[in-house]
Amino acid sequence: MISANLRDSLRFRLLLGTLLWILASILVSGWGLTKLFEQHVTMQFHAELKTHLDQLTAQLALDDKGQPALTMPLSDPRLNKPLSGLYWQIDRLAGTDVKPETAVLRSRSLWDQLLQVPSDAPATGEIHHHRVTGPDNAMLGMAERRVTLDGLYFRLIVAADERLLLEPVAHFRGQLWLALGVLGAGLALAALVQVFVGLAPLRQLHASLARVRSGARQRMEGGFPTEISPLVNEFNSVLAQNAEVIERARTQAGNLAHALKTPLSVLANAANAPEKRNDELARLVATQVETARKQVDYHLARAQAAATARLPGAGTPLAPVVEGLVRTMLRIHAERHLEIVVRPMTPLLTFRGEAHDLQEMLGNLIDNACKWAVSKVEVQARAEHEQLVLSVDDDGKGIAADQRDAVLRRGVRADQQVPGSGLGLAIVDDLAHMYGGHLALADSPLGGLRTILTLPVTK
Amino acid sequence: MRILVVEDEPTLAQQLIEGVSAAGYVADVAHNGVDAHFMGDVEPYDAVVLDIGLPQMDGITVLKKWRAAGRTMPVLILTARDSWHEKVTGIDAGADDYLTKPFHMEELLARLRALIRRAGGHASTELVCGPLKLDTRSSRATVDGHALVLTSHEYRVLAYLMHHRDEIVSRTALVEHIYAQDFDRDSNTVEVFIGRLRKKLPPGLIETVRGLGYRLTNPA
Repeated sequence: MISANLRDSLRFRLLLGTLLWILASILVSGWGLTKLFEQHVTMQFHAELKTHLDQLTAQLALDDKGQPALTMPLSDPRLNKPLSGLYWQIDRLAGTDVKPETAVLRSRSLWDQLLQVPSDAPATGEIHHHRVTGPDNAMLGMAERRVTLDGLYFRLIVAADERLLLEPVAHFRGQLWLALGVLGAGLALAALVQVFVGLAPLRQLHASLARVRSGARQRMEGGFPTEISPLVNEFNSVLAQNAEVIERARTQAGNLAHALKTPLSVLANAANAPEKRNDELARLVATQVETARKQVDYHLARAQAAATARLPGAGTPLAPVVEGLVRTMLRIHAERHLEIVVRPMTPLLTFRGEAHDLQEMLGNLIDNACKWAVSKVEVQARAEHEQLVLSVDDDGKGIAADQRDAVLRRGVRADQQVPGSGLGLAIVDDLAHMYGGHLALADSPLGGLRTILTLPVTK
Repeated sequence: MRILVVEDEPTLAQQLIEGVSAAGYVADVAHNGVDAHFMGDVEPYDAVVLDIGLPQMDGITVLKKWRAAGRTMPVLILTARDSWHEKVTGIDAGADDYLTKPFHMEELLARLRALIRRAGGHASTELVCGPLKLDTRSSRATVDGHALVLTSHEYRVLAYLMHHRDEIVSRTALVEHIYAQDFDRDSNTVEVFIGRLRKKLPPGLIETVRGLGYRLTNPA
């Protein structure tokens, strides 16, 4: 049975159609050519019989005793070789006062055999063809003609073994089918090559698309035939448009953040002024500003990430992002005199997603580690089971095992979340989930917390 | 110590000026990128508080131009844009620290103090010269544990000299670092402040280097 998979294959369909067509054409031409050749050979056979018959007719005469005789023997040597397959015979037919007599004359090749002619009565001079069983039970093709000679009626018969006819036909048929077989095989091979070569751009298209999907490329690349390149161009413009929309959303989110946070700063500073320290309203404003800030931070981070996680074709090399973040951390936490160690990582590790999101996740993790560390933070990355595993260690006081779940669970249900929990871990976990990854917490060999971020990797 | 505050939102700019001034610094303000770039380029600021979203020229461009021209004063970026991507961009453009809005004025001041201190090569928040100690966090000076009573100008002169301990500081440099830009500067007033400080400090701490300026050093 042909599997559905194979039936749906374009290559299989093209190949099957072409092969069936080739087979049908070869069968029809083989049959037609054999028929033509048979006709031709039969005509030749009959013509040969007629030639011999004509010769026989010309040589027939009556001798002195009024008996039929040949003025000259017929020229074909086969006629003198016994049972050679080529024969002639002359019968005398009944006339007035004459008794019919079979084989008044016959070729030497007939030896002691006779040719039996089906009884019919062709007009004088007319040639009739018959098939009869002759010597050795061979099928003979026979031509007869009635002639009148000095008032006597004779029947002249020439017969030849049909094998003389069949042999060349069989030989021709063998040669023909061999040739047609070779032609068919050649055509099938050509069809195979054509289908594979013709459909190669589709495989290329598939590979190119896979590279975009896996994040290795931002757009589809490569030279495509004119039938496919419009499709590729359209797809590329959809990708570009997507990226543009997302960039715009990101910019708008950033602008919104800016627009909201500057007035929040003004409010917060006014409420925190030294002379307002004991003012109830000022305290209320200060706490509400803080809540508003966390909400803005949290939801903006989510909105930005939600947009990008759906963008295909994004791939971010890991090493430059880590280096940039470490440079930044060393500046921002300069007062803490921390040592940030980046363990050597595979140079080509690539995160399958947006640089911004990787920076956001890793930035929060390293920043968090820097806040809690006493003196040392360690970052490492490796590829494991087709995933990117990043871990950040610190030598701070860590999080007790029974509290870790609570810290991460906040990231699962948005409605229960306390945005900006102070650790930023909820945001990281949310972002990781959008990429099909996750965040885990563990004890660090350095003594503090180890955060383990698992993300899709680009192959 | 003279600070440049770059912020386009007028109320927040005013609050920053007040906060910075209350901490004992003199502050100039720029409301757009072009002014900020010019002021940072020609005036010797001890630190800059720089917003990113500015009219005419954005903060990152201003910062890059300063760094390209060899201006090395510490720069604290103060912005609402708080993604790590933007922080990395800011630090890589040459910023020394990054603080996001909304912020606590205390934190901004602590970070400014740290930047100025580190720029002068000092590791501690407390600067010491013999019996004289200056706590940069509380803006207070003591001699052998006894608090000194200083006017704001006297404090600024002393703080600048303490940050540049054992270096010769010209009178012009002192003027540039203790007065805001639009102040009517008179270098003779510096002599008055030095004179008053000498009366309050143990003898010999502030030397006069003839023709060059002053030097704060521990004579013992």
